[in-house]
This record gives sequence, structure tokens and C-alpha cells, in this order.
Amino acid sequence: MVVKAENYNRPGDKELGVLFDGGKVRKRREWRGLKDTLYDYGRWLHIMGILAKFIAKPRNIKAMFRYRWMANYLATPHMIDKFTMGLRDEPLRIVHTSMDFVVYDVASTLDNIFRGDRRTGNDVEYSKKCVLSDENAMTAFMMGFPTVHAILREVPCMFVANLLTQYSSTHYLDVAQQAGIPGDVCPMPEAEAGTSIDDDFAVLGCCAVQVNTTCDGSLMGNGIIAKRLEREYGIPTFQLIAPMRHREPDVQKYAAEDMKKAIAFVEEHSGEKWDWTAYFESAKRVNDATRKRMAWLEINSTPYPQFVGAPFSLYNDTNYMGNCGRSKLFPPVDAKLLKLAQQGYEAKRMMAPEYRHRCIVWGVQPQYCIDMLNWMVHCWGVVPLTDMLSMINTKMIAEEDTPENRDQAYYDMAWLNENMIMRNRTHGGYKVLVNELWEFCDMMHADMVMMWEHMSCKALDGMHGQFEEQARERGIHLVWVCHDLCDPRVYTRQAIRNQFNDYMRTVMREEPLDPSIETLPDENAW
Amino acid sequence: MKDLKHLLYFENLLLNADNELVEKAKEDGKICVAFVCENIPEPLLNVGNAFSVRLRAPRTDSMEISTYYMTSFLCEYSRALLERAIEGGYNFTDCIMAPDGCTMINRCVENMELLKALGTDKDKFFYSNMEIPLKADENGKELYVLQCKNHILAPLHDTYGIDTSDAAIRKAVEEHNKVCRLIRAIGDYRKGDKPRITGYEFHVLTLATYVAPKYLLIDKLEETLEELKTRRPEKKDYRARVVVVGSEVDDSDFIKLIEDTGAYVCADRFCYGSIPGRDPIELTDDEDALTQVCSQYMYRCQCPRMMNMEKVYGRKQFVNDLAKEYNADGIIYEQVKFCDPWAYERTMGSTMLRDDFGYPVLSVDRPYNINSSVGQMRTRVQAFVESIEIKKIRGGAK
Amino acid sequence: MSILANIFKKLLIAGGSFFAVTFVVYFFNLDMKLTSKIEPFLIKHYDTMPRETYL
Repeated sequence: MVVKAENYNRPGDKELGVLFDGGKVRKRREWRGLKDTLYDYGRWLHIMGILAKFIAKPRNIKAMFRYRWMANYLATPHMIDKFTMGLRDEPLRIVHTSMDFVVYDVASTLDNIFRGDRRTGNDVEYSKKCVLSDENAMTAFMMGFPTVHAILREVPCMFVANLLTQYSSTHYLDVAQQAGIPGDVCPMPEAEAGTSIDDDFAVLGCCAVQVNTTCDGSLMGNGIIAKRLEREYGIPTFQLIAPMRHREPDVQKYAAEDMKKAIAFVEEHSGEKWDWTAYFESAKRVNDATRKRMAWLEINSTPYPQFVGAPFSLYNDTNYMGNCGRSKLFPPVDAKLLKLAQQGYEAKRMMAPEYRHRCIVWGVQPQYCIDMLNWMVHCWGVVPLTDMLSMINTKMIAEEDTPENRDQAYYDMAWLNENMIMRNRTHGGYKVLVNELWEFCDMMHADMVMMWEHMSCKALDGMHGQFEEQARERGIHLVWVCHDLCDPRVYTRQAIRNQFNDYMRTVMREEPLDPSIETLPDENAW
Repeated sequence: MKDLKHLLYFENLLLNADNELVEKAKEDGKICVAFVCENIPEPLLNVGNAFSVRLRAPRTDSMEISTYYMTSFLCEYSRALLERAIEGGYNFTDCIMAPDGCTMINRCVENMELLKALGTDKDKFFYSNMEIPLKADENGKELYVLQCKNHILAPLHDTYGIDTSDAAIRKAVEEHNKVCRLIRAIGDYRKGDKPRITGYEFHVLTLATYVAPKYLLIDKLEETLEELKTRRPEKKDYRARVVVVGSEVDDSDFIKLIEDTGAYVCADRFCYGSIPGRDPIELTDDEDALTQVCSQYMYRCQCPRMMNMEKVYGRKQFVNDLAKEYNADGIIYEQVKFCDPWAYERTMGSTMLRDDFGYPVLSVDRPYNINSSVGQMRTRVQAFVESIEIKKIRGGAK
Repeated sequence: MSILANIFKKLLIAGGSFFAVTFVVYFFNLDMKLTSKIEPFLIKHYDTMPRETYL
């Protein structure tokens, strides 16, 4: 069902292709009409303020010269520009509210990392209260440690870095492959392993908790990283289990027991005791975040979705996984996002003159091309309602401090751990990966699925044929978009977009809303 | 050396998944339990009236259909199994037990289920997926026991009325151990300077114990062991003694290829191999059999998915100990193409065995059917063997 | 009053200049153009740094 905007008249640049000239960065920023341009300018100043505060500290400058992946952060405002392309009114404000906060959160993370890092800040006392955690791991086991800092040191190196610049991981992939790891494995753990081999991780913390996060590769890569942590840096590691068949009742006790051990491990090495009051406060915030996320999804199920695309995915990742209820700063941001979304919905705001297709984005996204979701809206009028990484836990966890709830808490933390982003779908059987996709299509009235086929993701690849056949049975347009996660040498951005372009032209027989961005000269861009 | 009397018989058993012994057991009214991973405790699949068959896809050529379903990035073992299943090659089975061990095998069996590739015209056919421990500890043991109860013993009992009592498990373990002791005794002949059995021959025998009902193999294995006591070994020395470590090897042609270069495969630390797959399970009366079986399987497991660091380091130490025990000159770390767990394990293992333990190591990946890549593999192995020889000539330490 | 007016005038000029300069930087993407020129020097620096590269 095509939804057309009433009296759509986007002020400012009409054709977004004018922003690109084939260079590393854009020719200029977008003219959005006076009001929205001034707003965007104000937010740019805000980002600049965050970055200025960051580089004002000498240890952070030292880190810039020590760690290769830090160079990617030169492109931070460029990343925001990618996500705000073509947006006005509430959608623009939603993206800025969410992504600017993510920038603030990442900057804080980096600041904390370098404060404790032996090679830069070397604040030994601070480092003793830091616990290293994995990239895709839920920090649920830290919910009751208000005075201990969870340091997701892999996130800025790999996950975020690739949002900023497309070639952020290639050096580390090359290092890993030179060490002997084959090229067909998932590039995410491979790049992490490469970072460890290249000695390019910050070194801090009293201990590390690793999790078999999203795949066999993640599980295995941990061994390489732990070896260096333990043998070279004397940082003990604990491997926390997230069972594969996480929907089965007969694995929950196993997971809960191991969660207890992880907490005991952190207590032992940090010298801090678990705080139930802090835990249940965090639990309340987790539930609040869950409710907000479900409210956003409800709005997205209507003809006027508001909080969509990459910012939706990335904000959920940050809040759900990296934060996991621990920070008080997130709930006000959540509330503001909901308010903006409701406003936009009531005003029937649309990001494009028409929405021709409603699309669920499934599979694992390429970080260096995740802004494609915004591009889909402007180029083809295909609105991405939600993505696989945002379809996470919807269960409320116990939030009142009672003796029964203290026992239940371990199960809740284990449940959150099992249901971390990506793995709650890549593991647990075909039902959570395939069957539930069709349920979401029904729930959100989607007629299209954009399947990110991460070629090295064996969990998704293994269901390729089933996706094809079942989509056909249901009459859902399944658009395969193949990529290699964070290695743009395998699939360039335009090669990724062309897969979508080809489908829209040949199968759907449609013409682009904005032909100027059908082909973008961003091969050399950050 | 003089040919082993029953070698041809065992080789023929390996030509088809539905071999003559499987057919005989089915005629005897036994229930055929298919399994796909060493992390499923084998004795539990041989309780009562059941017998286990570890699935393989001999003489696999094209994998086009399974590649459509699973893409070319999944390991060839998993794709070969799915291809064979779609072709109807496993319709002799009555159920399949699969752990959620590695993603690829999990997707393979799930595709079989969704495509209804097994159990055609069999109302009682069932698929059983289970969780297996990721760490070897008490918590893991409890999980293992629960999972085996819920996903192996209960469905076997409820669907086919199979006796899964403690006594039945002990009986199955006894039979399992008989075979294991025979295989280990045969395998011990690999330790001497002049081995009386080749690595290839040994692999054929060991493989047969995975893919055929054990009770029907015992007599021929006993005869083979007797034969070996007086078999005259080869006069010439092998150029190098190697331990083969890695992911599943159900294609004996791979071992043959290595030995054709003049090397001798003195120990087999891979899936479908004897170490630790054919270690006997020692039971006592202190505890129920199920718990003891699970415990021993878990603690001796060499699968790379065991992620606690004791296991991570332990696996490399294990290979070192094996190399010493079997007097190996070098180690070949191999993996089936596109196997994620062994991709990392091979990298770390080959580096540590080389740097920390001082062994010459060859690190290779291989197709499922070695005949599709004979030339390349032979070149790699030959070069490796030559390098060991040169090192020996120069009097270099290991 | 005149002092206040003076201060206000100066603030207005300063504010206006700040806005003008930063807006030009913002609109013409000069911040990113500058940092993109810095990147190659950093990469060269990383490439020449001694590292303990091992598993």
C-alpha cells in the first residue's frame, strides 16, 4: 500500500546527489531550509563540543597516536551527516537525539578506556575497578556493580569504527589472516583477533568477562584475545556461557548458574560486592527501555513510522547491550525520543514524498553501509520499519527487591545475556530466525524484507534456501543484499546498493524517487 | 606388509552410509539412531534395542542442492550431509540426534527437518536437538545429564520403547568399551619404530566402528588384532611420523594421501578418529552411569567449542602429549573448508605447537572429499615431510 | 548604560563572528575536509610504529 505525504514539500536540497563529488568527504553539508539547517548546525556545534572536551585531555591525544583505530574518530561528524541525509522536522530531531547521545556515550567510553589504559592514562586505581567485556555481550552481569566500570573495549575498535570509516577494519583483518586465520570466517571476531595480535587494544582492567556471543567465530576469537590478556598482561579472564538453545526451558538453570559464577569472579577481582539495590534500579531501567522500544515499534507499525533505520538499530544496540540499564542518562533520552516519535506520528511526518514499500531489514548489517537504510527511503521510497538487531527481548524482568526476585534475577540476567543483539536470532533454532521474521512482517504490515546476507555469517547463510522458499510462499518480496560485514574490499558500498537497485528496477519495475543518489561516488569516501 | 584379512571388508562398509551391517541390524529389528557430532555420548545411542550410526557422505561429488539451501560458505561436511539426505541416502535411519554444537551442523539438521529429508514414510521418525556444555565444569556436567535425559533417552524411550535404564546404559557402555579397547590395542601398534599397521588401515577400522553397529564388528576386530600380533612390518622407514589433528576426517583417502608421500600417520586426534573418540569409559558403582558417561565425555572432549581457558590451553598440551607418546616428528593441523571453530583452533594450535612446544607444523584446510584437491594437498604434505627430513639430517631439535 | 551597551555590542560582534565562522565551516564541511587531510599522516605514523605482533 503506497502512502503518499500530503502536500510534501521538503525545504532545501531536493536532490541529495549534489552533496557528493567522489571525494573522501562530502562537498558540503545539506541545506535543509533555514529552521532545520540552523537546528542541524546547533547539533554539529554540540558534537564539536563533545570532541573538543575529549581531545582536551592529553591522554586522549596520546591514544590517538598509539592506536590505529582512533584515526577513524576524525570522521565522527561525517557519520552523523550520513544518518541525517535528507531528513527534516521530527525525523531529523530523532536521529540527532539518538545518535548525538550515542556519540557522547562512545566518547565517554573512550575516555574511560584511556583513563585506565596502561599505555596512555595509566590511572592504576581506576583500572582496578574496570572489567573488560566483549563487543556483543550484554553487560547484565554488571548491573549490580555501580562502582565498577564495564569497559566494552572492542566496541570502539571495531563496531563503532566501521560506522565512521569503511576501511577501519581492513588492516586488522589482514593481520589476522597473516597469522593464519582463514578469510571465510566472520570479519567481526576476526578483526578483534587481529587487533589483539597487532597489540592494538588498550590494556586495562582487573579482569575480563568474555561471552560466546554471536557465533562460533566470536566464541573462538575469545581464546586468542584471552591468551594475550592472561599471559602477557596478567588480566584474568572468565568465559561466561550463553546457551545456544536459549528458548528452551532446560538450559536456563545452566545459564543462571554461570551468571552467578561470573558475578563472583567480578567480586573476587574487583574487590567490590554485588549491590542488589543498584541491580533492581537497573532492572527498572531495562524494563523502561523495553517499553519504550516496543512503543517505537508500535509507531513504526503504523503508516507513519518515525524512529527507523540505522539510528534506531544503533541506539537500541547502545542502550540495550552496552548500557543494559546501568546508566541513568538513557531514560530521559528514551522519553524524548518517544515524545518526538509521537509528535511526528500525529503530524504524519514522512521522510520521503511517498512510502512505496514497508520493509523489515533482516540479517546482520554491514557497519560501513548501514546508512543505506536512510538511502532506501530517499532513493526508492522503501521505509525500513525495524531490523533484526532491534527485535530483542520483550519480556519484563523482575524489578522489585524481594528474596524470590533475587533468585529470579540470575535467570533474568542470563535471559538478557542469551538474548543479546544478533545472537537472539542467529542462535536458538530456525524458529527465531526464520519463522519469527514472517510474524514481524505481519505485525508491522511489511510487504518487503531486505535481507542483509553477510556472506561469512554461517548462521544466516545456513537458512538461505529456507528464506527464499518461505518468502515466495508468503508473497513477500525478499531482496538479497550481500556483503562482508566490515570488509568493503569484498563488496563495495555501490555494489551493495546496486543489489537493491537491480531488484527495484527489474522485479518491482519502479523508478527511483531521487535518481541523483541511485549511484553514489563514495568508493573513496570515509 | 601383507594385507590385513578384513581390510577390504571394512573398506566396503565405508562405501555406503547404509552398509550391510546397518541393514542386518535393521533386519534384526533394531532402531537406527543417526548422529552427527562427537559431542553426543555414543553409548547412550546404543542402549537397549538401538544402535548408532554417525552420518557421513562417502563419494560425495556435487553439492549443488545443499549449497542452494546453505550457500557455499558453510562447511562441506554439513553440506555433503544435507545433499545426501535430500537424495534419500539416510532414509534407513529412525531418528537423528544433533547437538547445537557448531552453527553449521545445526543448520544442516534444521534444513533436513524443514525439508523432511529424513524419515520418509516413517511416522515415528524424530529430530532431536540438544544443548551441550560450553565449559567443562560441574555446571556443564549437570546440563549434559539433563540434556541427555530430555533429548536422547526420553525420546528413545517414549517413541520406540527403548530401555534407557541405568542397567541398559551400563550394558551399552560395556559393548562400547569392548570396541574401544580393541581399537586402542590395534592403535598401540602405531607407536613403535616399525609399526604393524598403517595410519590409513587404522583409520578405516576406526571409521567402521562409527558407521556400523558395534556388536557386529567385534569378531572381525578381534581377528584383526590377532593378525597384527604376528604381522611383519615394512622394512623401510617412514620419512616422518606425524600426528593429524583437526576437524572431522571421514575420508580415509586423506590419510592415504599423507602416507603416500612417505609420512606415517601415527596418531589421529580428529573427529571420527580414535583419540579421544575411542577412549573406554570407566564406570564405577558410586554414581549413576549416565552422569559418569557425561562427565567423561565432557572432561576428555577435545572439540574447540569448549571455551574455558583450561580447555583452550589443554587442547594444545594434549596434542603435545600425544606427539610425545607416539614419537611424532611433526604435526598436521587440518580443517574442513569453512569450519569456523577449527579455523581459529588451527591457527592457535599450530602457532603454539610450533612456538611453545617446538614441533614442525603443517596447517591446512581441505575439501570434504579430498579427491577434489589431491594435487594441492600432496604438494603441501610433501614439502612438509621434506622439511622434517632436512631438519633431521641437520640434527635439528624438534 | 553605555558600558553595558558596549559589552553587549562586543558580545554581539563576537557572537556574530563566531556564528559566521563556524557556520561557514559547518556548511562547507571544512571540518571534515581538514581532518581528512590529517588522516594519511596518522596512517603513516601507525605503519612505522614498532609493534609486538604475535598471537
